[in-house]
Amino acid sequence: MPRPYEAVYVFDSTLEDSAVTEKLDRFHQLLGTTGEMKVDHWGRRQLAYPIGPRENGYYVVARFEAETAGIPEYERALKLDEGVIRYLLTIFEHEVGAPPMTEEELALAKKRGEDDDEDEE
Amino acid sequence: MRRPSKACPFCETRVRFVDYKDERTLGRFITDHGKILPSRLSGVCARHQRQLSTAVKRARYLALLPYTKGLQG
Repeated sequence: MPRPYEAVYVFDSTLEDSAVTEKLDRFHQLLGTTGEMKVDHWGRRQLAYPIGPRENGYYVVARFEAETAGIPEYERALKLDEGVIRYLLTIFEHEVGAPPMTEEELALAKKRGEDDDEDEE
Repeated sequence: MRRPSKACPFCETRVRFVDYKDERTLGRFITDHGKILPSRLSGVCARHQRQLSTAVKRARYLALLPYTKGLQG
């Protein structure tokens, strides 16, 4: 069953941009993606804390639908790659194009919040 | 005495899911030392506080937020 995923990669910032794109292509080929693939390059930015000797990372966010069966092989490739400092693969839980909460939902959420409060103090 | 409840900042902006990639927003909900701010102080509702907690932890792993800060050494 295909599921929607979101992956964030942190690459070594010393890699060339072309090398990053090439690596991404290689990883994403392993997935055998069905449907569209959204890749968003954030580019180089400072890490909030040093990871080993590195102070900077190249961030890429990708969204795709993939078969669950292909995921272990894909993750293995990510772990083996020295150019990938960190990666995070999550199930993409936002419904596609989900509107912000409507008035009724907000009221409902508010009501629920008030109920929660009663236990306090 | 029941204190007046603060409005949840996420509900007010109609956020459905707290995004772990938005470190600027998440940064408002951590203390000077980098701890997650309790909802008692921030007024975040229980549902969004749960989402916030996961989001901050994910952001820390990706080095978007620090695990600790403001401490020497």
